[in-house]
Amino acid sequence: MDPPFDALTSPAGALCAHCRLPLGRRPLKRRLHGESGQFCCYGCALAFQVTRGVHEEAEAARLLIRLGVGAFLAMNIMLLSLLLYSSSPWDEPALRQAVHYVLLALATPMLLILGLPFLQQAVAAGRAGHATIDTLISLGAVSAYGYSAWATLTGARHVYFDTMTMVLVLFTLGRYLEAAGRARAMRDLEPLLAPGRQQARVSEPEGESLRPVRDLAAGARVRVLPGERVPVDGHVIEGMSRVDESLMTGEAHPVAKGPGERVLAGSMNGTGPLLVEMEAAGEATRWAAIGRAVAESLRQPSPIQGLADRVATQFIYAVVALAVSVVVFWASQGPFDQALLIGLAVLVVACPCALGLAAPLATSVGVGVALRRGALVRSGAALERLATVRVMLLDKTGTLTAGAPTLRRCAALEGTDERELLRRAAALERGSEHALARGVLAAAHAARVPVTAASDVRATPGGGLCGRFEGEAIATGTRRYLECLGWKPSAAGLAHAATLARGGSTVTWVAWGERIRGLLAFSDQLRPEADEVVGALHRRGLHSVLLSGDRAEAVEAVATSIRVNAWRAACSPEDKRSAVEDLRRRHGPVAAVGDGINDGPLLAAADVGIAIGSATDLAQQAAEIVLPQGGLMRLPWLIELACTVRRTIAVNLAWAFGYNAVALALAAAGHLPPVIAAALMAGSSVLVVWNSLRLERLDRPFTAGMPPVRQATAAAERQPAVADILRD
Amino acid sequence: MEFLLIALAGFAGSFHCLGMCGGLACALGGDPRGRRATVLRHLTYNTGRVTTYVFLGALAGALGGAIIHHGPSAEPLVAGQRILSIAAGTLMLIMGAQFFGYFRALHRATIGLGGKGVVVSLKSLLAAPGPGAPLAFGVVNGFLPCPLVYAFLAKAAATGAVAPAALTMLCFGLGTLPAMLFTGGVGRLLAPLWRRRGVRLAGGFLLALGTLTLLRGLLPWTLHSMH
Repeated sequence: MDPPFDALTSPAGALCAHCRLPLGRRPLKRRLHGESGQFCCYGCALAFQVTRGVHEEAEAARLLIRLGVGAFLAMNIMLLSLLLYSSSPWDEPALRQAVHYVLLALATPMLLILGLPFLQQAVAAGRAGHATIDTLISLGAVSAYGYSAWATLTGARHVYFDTMTMVLVLFTLGRYLEAAGRARAMRDLEPLLAPGRQQARVSEPEGESLRPVRDLAAGARVRVLPGERVPVDGHVIEGMSRVDESLMTGEAHPVAKGPGERVLAGSMNGTGPLLVEMEAAGEATRWAAIGRAVAESLRQPSPIQGLADRVATQFIYAVVALAVSVVVFWASQGPFDQALLIGLAVLVVACPCALGLAAPLATSVGVGVALRRGALVRSGAALERLATVRVMLLDKTGTLTAGAPTLRRCAALEGTDERELLRRAAALERGSEHALARGVLAAAHAARVPVTAASDVRATPGGGLCGRFEGEAIATGTRRYLECLGWKPSAAGLAHAATLARGGSTVTWVAWGERIRGLLAFSDQLRPEADEVVGALHRRGLHSVLLSGDRAEAVEAVATSIRVNAWRAACSPEDKRSAVEDLRRRHGPVAAVGDGINDGPLLAAADVGIAIGSATDLAQQAAEIVLPQGGLMRLPWLIELACTVRRTIAVNLAWAFGYNAVALALAAAGHLPPVIAAALMAGSSVLVVWNSLRLERLDRPFTAGMPPVRQATAAAERQPAVADILRD
Repeated sequence: MEFLLIALAGFAGSFHCLGMCGGLACALGGDPRGRRATVLRHLTYNTGRVTTYVFLGALAGALGGAIIHHGPSAEPLVAGQRILSIAAGTLMLIMGAQFFGYFRALHRATIGLGGKGVVVSLKSLLAAPGPGAPLAFGVVNGFLPCPLVYAFLAKAAATGAVAPAALTMLCFGLGTLPAMLFTGGVGRLLAPLWRRRGVRLAGGFLLALGTLTLLRGLLPWTLHSMH
């Protein structure tokens, strides 16, 4: 099942069919295997055909044959040239002249075979009014050939067919190696770019057929064979298997799946075939959404690369001008053929291939590594900015805490006990959707308190609930709400409530009959890893700030326990936004971490918005980076990754620029033979590819003993023990 | 005389080639248009292969020449040639010993050099039609890592000049020709026992040539010129 070409062939910002990097301004269009594909460079077209074309016999190997036959001619030319240079018996003028003609006969098909792709590209670019790297190569090869052919016909002493052929062979080889490296760099991203062109094995009464996932609707039955990726969200109808969901949930170990259980699109089926019934349309899965986001992120040019590309374009014109003036200068100093060789070396060595590769490769590998650990980075630019961040804004609810209030304390005041208090409160809360109600019911369930519903329940938003239960009026809510209903708190009750509030809890009152009977204290449990994460941020030299819309006591309790640098409570969305402005002025770029739903404005205002564990539609989020549920622990690692990516880009650019500058100076001075220049140039690109691929090692998170996601989540969401609630 | 020896070593060594390159030659297979076309196909393939060897030989000779002419002695030619001969002879002895089962790790290292990517690209060439494919196949095949080729390249470098170095590799290449033609579509694969004997024989030739080269570097110059 060789997938057809990418569906992402929109003219603006599509991706190369081989290496999946952006095509750039002038993609190379080729018709292959009956479909048209677009490639970012000649090397990618070459590599694509060689690696994918095994089944498609005729067209597949054409380019490799080209390279092989070209190399055959080139080797013969080199051999004869070496003999000509080396030994005296060949110095006979007549013999030398004969050899020159043989060289010409070999070099002409050679130029056609290996030089033509470069020439075609150069001409196409020239028609559009641009100069590219191909222009440099073509100019060099054609001028070397032209001069040598003329020298042969006029019987001059030196010809330079060998130089021309070796330059062409080395460049073709360099392009091929570069493309292979780029495809390798995109290996991690491949499963996430797959959904757009994913096919599913649809099982119907009349048989099975392969169809594009985007055409399928909920209810269709899809067979997934072992080793295949699950193409749709759905539940298993038949079959047993172990499924690797790491791509979607970050869960490292395969999960056993049987009939009735849910499987997620994008997970890898392990051991057995599964029949899955689709629950949502093929396009509506999280996998498809991530795929769109990743493809989009690759199309966003990063700021550094944008700059490098603009410089490279200007650079090419400058190099052509330099080469011409170098030839003119050296021709005035000595023989013309020597001057021409020096000009050729200048053209060859100046090719800014490595410059164009420096940033996108490192960024892509970085985004891929992050994805492998469940962190979705929406653009390379976001990753670059994350490395420069000085302040980390942390939201409390849902980020540092589990986001679900749990009943911490159930305090009976007068004429009742804790169990009875919980039983009556639960009866009243039973029909409610409020977060606190869920906390009460969960606690009642955990304490095995039987719950029967109260009658005539009325809710006052921001106040509480009242109703009738077992013949008495009953209410629960804020102190003011109960006062409105006619219940007055006792002095002892007020003191108790104040103590609980100071501990960071949210307190509600419960009353029935004539009196207020007790207090319920809720708190949002701190995630166990929060402390360690803040410590890791401080070690990286970041300023940590806790922002929350919650009450001061609750925020302060959290702030002291995780030791953030500063905190601010009772913030409205406007307050949060102005806090971002303020912190940016005082410290530098600001990143904000939130749950992505309530914190949209905050995340949008920050330089980098990071959402944690949000299942909302990715496309509508303000966040540029999305961490999985319970993925707070990955934050320091992600920052480390961003810094390393940035460092790699800097090294790549420094290398590409520095190398070009030094080599260019040497070549212009006449100290660099063109063949060596070509070899160095190909080597330079390969070095940049290699340096970027080293980033793959960052796969292992840096913080030792980082708990797997599932454990961290489970710990954070653990209910307080029953004994804790009913104590007192 | 020595070139004949090299050709013989190449011939004996080609029993070793049958292991990997013979498999490739077989994979190249026959031509549907008949026996003549098949022979032509394999001749083209071998032309590509031998051309690569000769080219590499010429490069090695040029490199050897460059080393000799920058030798550290007052008589640069003599001293440089000796150093080169000693180095090449030692390398050849090591390679020869490999054929008798010594230096296993080294053997794996030489075989493992970047072979995988090349083999993948070779596979796509096999099926392609036209006269270009077998030629390109042969050219790439020539670059595949092979201890025998390395040993003879060392020998070629030791000659210190382009022409004799290229000739050395040509002799080696021609020596491998009969066996390679024999397997590729023309004949059947040899029995494993004979192949092992051939490999031993190749190792023997390598050891002999290596000793000769080494001695040329070690023995006093006068004695050598008498020889």
